[in-house]
Amino acid sequence: MPGNTNISVSLVKKLGIVEFCDMAGNNAEEVEGSAGADTKNNSSGEIPLDFTIKHPLQNTWSLWFYDNDRTKTWEENQIELTTFDCVEDFWRLYHHIKQPSELRQGHDYAVFKQGIRPMWEDDANKMGGRWLISLEKKQRNSDLDRFWLDVILLLIGENFDHSEEICGAVVNVRGKLDKIGVWTADTSKQQANLEIGRKLKESLGIHGKIGFQLHRDTMVKHSSATKNLYTV
Amino acid sequence: MSASPIARQATQSQAIPSRRVLITDPGQMPDVYSSTPGGTIYSTTPGGTRIVYERSYLMSLRQSPLSNTPPKCALPAAMLKNPSASPVQVLPMPKPRSNSISFDESQETFSMDL
Repeated sequence: MPGNTNISVSLVKKLGIVEFCDMAGNNAEEVEGSAGADTKNNSSGEIPLDFTIKHPLQNTWSLWFYDNDRTKTWEENQIELTTFDCVEDFWRLYHHIKQPSELRQGHDYAVFKQGIRPMWEDDANKMGGRWLISLEKKQRNSDLDRFWLDVILLLIGENFDHSEEICGAVVNVRGKLDKIGVWTADTSKQQANLEIGRKLKESLGIHGKIGFQLHRDTMVKHSSATKNLYTV
Repeated sequence: MSASPIARQATQSQAIPSRRVLITDPGQMPDVYSSTPGGTIYSTTPGGTRIVYERSYLMSLRQSPLSNTPPKCALPAAMLKNPSASPVQVLPMPKPRSNSISFDESQETFSMDL
């Protein structure tokens, strides 16, 4: 057991950026500033990379694949393949699986926090909704793979201020429109959902509008007919 | 909203102030788990520390040797990057070796007979 403890100490000490809450609000000085000299030695201002260790993620994430086997039900086609909880294990998967644009039409990938199924019915999703990015066919070659990677990096890097509201993300590869959805837990949290939507749009460099839909609306209507609760 | 004004006041939600700290050296990390960089156990408890990675940092780990080893789990062929290459990558390595050894031996034997 002492051995284990030592290992995790060394992992924690290699973290890049640590964000935390300051309830007292009286530690206003920036720790960042005191490390200025060290930072400047590094041309990029980045933390020196250590390739010998794995970088832990805040959450453990599951990779799901939707197989589109017509002899199976929709639910049976959703396969949870594996989980990852560090940056390197994510890249191992990413390097060895197809990009969304290379998948057959009808297939999906989903990346969700462990324990949440990529289904509306899941307890974590039933009060939730999704930010929906629809991609025209011509964007399959130009944008689909890039958007999907950037969405995953936003998720696993906990880049949203309200990342606790994130459930996961889905990419649907379809004949008409490819879709990327970022699923959040609670549609009533307007501020959190808007922050997530704005960050998403800004990070991906989307110029048009993106909309947020309630799962319980998508359940009864075709997604193109579902009205948006929020738009950014 | 039927709670009394005092109860409402007590439970009114408020954004938790947060700030970002850039860690550049392991020495900047606190020695104990109950503390966060720049904070104490008392000032940083609710919500605690969150591990955040910017996109550029994640991207720079993309080519790390650890990031390039094959995943442990079995993946369906439909999602493998090179459905044919993956078994080929595993099989040909031992195969040519054993083949070349047996061929060499037979050739040597044959040439000695001549």
